Amino acid sequence: MNTNPIVKFFEYLFTLNGAFRWDLVFKYIFNGYIVQGVVVTIFLALLAQLIGSLIGLLLYFLRRSRLRILRLFGGTYVLLVRGTPLLVQILFLSVFLQIIHVDRFFASMDLFGALGFTIQVPFDAFFAALAALSLNEGAYMAEIVRAGIDSIDTGQMEAAKSLGMTYGVAMRRIVLPQALRVIVPPLGNEFNGMLKNTSLAYAISVSELLYTSYKTFGPALGATLEFLVIASFWYLLLTTGWSIVQSWLERRLNVSNIDPAQLAKVKWWSRLLGTREPATVPGLAPVGPTLEH
Amino acid sequence: MATDSEQSPSNQSAGDVGTSTAAYMVDAQDVHKYFHNNEVLRGVSMKIKKGEVVVVIGPSGSGKTTFLRCINHLEKINKGRIYIEGELIGYREEDGKLIEDSEKNIAHMRSEIGMVFQRFNLFPHMTALQNVMEAPVQVKGQAPEEAERRARELLAKVGLAEKADAYPARLSGGQQQRVAIARALAMDPKLMLFDEATSALDPELVGEVLKVMRQLALEGMTMMVVTHEMSFARDVADRVVFMDGGVIVEEGKPADIFSNPREERTRGFLRKVLEAHE
Repeated sequence: MNTNPIVKFFEYLFTLNGAFRWDLVFKYIFNGYIVQGVVVTIFLALLAQLIGSLIGLLLYFLRRSRLRILRLFGGTYVLLVRGTPLLVQILFLSVFLQIIHVDRFFASMDLFGALGFTIQVPFDAFFAALAALSLNEGAYMAEIVRAGIDSIDTGQMEAAKSLGMTYGVAMRRIVLPQALRVIVPPLGNEFNGMLKNTSLAYAISVSELLYTSYKTFGPALGATLEFLVIASFWYLLLTTGWSIVQSWLERRLNVSNIDPAQLAKVKWWSRLLGTREPATVPGLAPVGPTLEH
Repeated sequence: MATDSEQSPSNQSAGDVGTSTAAYMVDAQDVHKYFHNNEVLRGVSMKIKKGEVVVVIGPSGSGKTTFLRCINHLEKINKGRIYIEGELIGYREEDGKLIEDSEKNIAHMRSEIGMVFQRFNLFPHMTALQNVMEAPVQVKGQAPEEAERRARELLAKVGLAEKADAYPARLSGGQQQRVAIARALAMDPKLMLFDEATSALDPELVGEVLKVMRQLALEGMTMMVVTHEMSFARDVADRVVFMDGGVIVEEGKPADIFSNPREERTRGFLRKVLEAHE
């Protein structure tokens, strides 16, 4: 055995003097149950982000409404949701749905079984988590949507109206497509957070990643730390994968108006780790896609 | 030509205004407009005949741009009436009170009035061609092939046939403004409003936009033009209107206004503007 104290220290750190079961980590990392948990996590995050974004858009219109009562509702909603912890909201909705007996209706559904899942995903709990994550995300997306839409020059709306477009058509055809370029970068960050926030659903026994790894195997095999490492590996894989998708998306929309030729020179790993030299960004001017020129 | 002194609209009943004002493209009567406590229009009345080119001049802050924007209801008015071919724009009249019209009606009336802005306001996420096609397709429900054919015609008319697929960011200011004119014309407007259309342009690009505007005037388009281009006013206008302090100070044929202004304020303004151009 090596007696170098530094080597010994690292040996202890990574094996806890032989107590840490790396063999279990490698044995279970691609376990079928855990992989299904990963799929549930992705499913939950995607749905909650989608619904949350729509709620955010709705909240924008509520808070810009002519009707005071709608503005009041929108403002109160954002205040309440942003002022309380997400875990509390998940627990609250889970219990609340039980009290008003909505859980019975959802408990009878076996969506994931129908999709061929071999793990049990209690759909009533899944629904409670989805609702809480969506409602929570909506409050944060409201700010992002507001910033995006308000960044578009008012002249755009005026030009559209002067051509005979109604507010709705002008929003859909002229303002929102431009606002999207501003919204995409913070939306990407929100989704990164969402992927990790789904782990809180384990508290109400939703069979997402943390539940199918740490909670299912940890105590049973007496190896909680090992299964936390497995869960972390998967979360890291998901968020890293998303970062790559996000940067591709942002380049497609060319959100920072960097010369496309300059962007192409940067390696993907360099973008990911942020090691490239800071580019001189000419400011976020409202111009159209310029990739094809 | 004497300054128009319109009668107050209050003595006209809702029934007969339609017929008495329908002869005019624009019939603005005693228009008042406040921004908070600041009264920017203090009773402006103006009639524009079909086919007439009216150029509005005046110092900045005179209310000329605000008045132009009232004509297609981009600004609300606090008092008075504006009729487009005899139809009240932006409002319904009930018991002598103005009530905001439905969004659909307002949009429909605007669809027949073209507007060109100082800062172009092209849609940056669309090519020049798409900019011109957008409203005919979305508002009029024109078939895309038909709208494209017409859009290419209009781009050719403003001298930009070869720029159809360029995004606004790739066009010069003068080119952008010409696309904006084509975009407005695509709706076949009966009236065109120009809000300082050349003020944001580099001097060498002003000419190409004025040329298109001149061409439109020659074709008989009814135009209301707010501008600082005195040569355009002199050559193209049927009537020049001088505004200051939220009222019309003087109006008349360009020759009369420029060579023989009656009001001291008009004289002072013209002296300053023409000196700046020497």
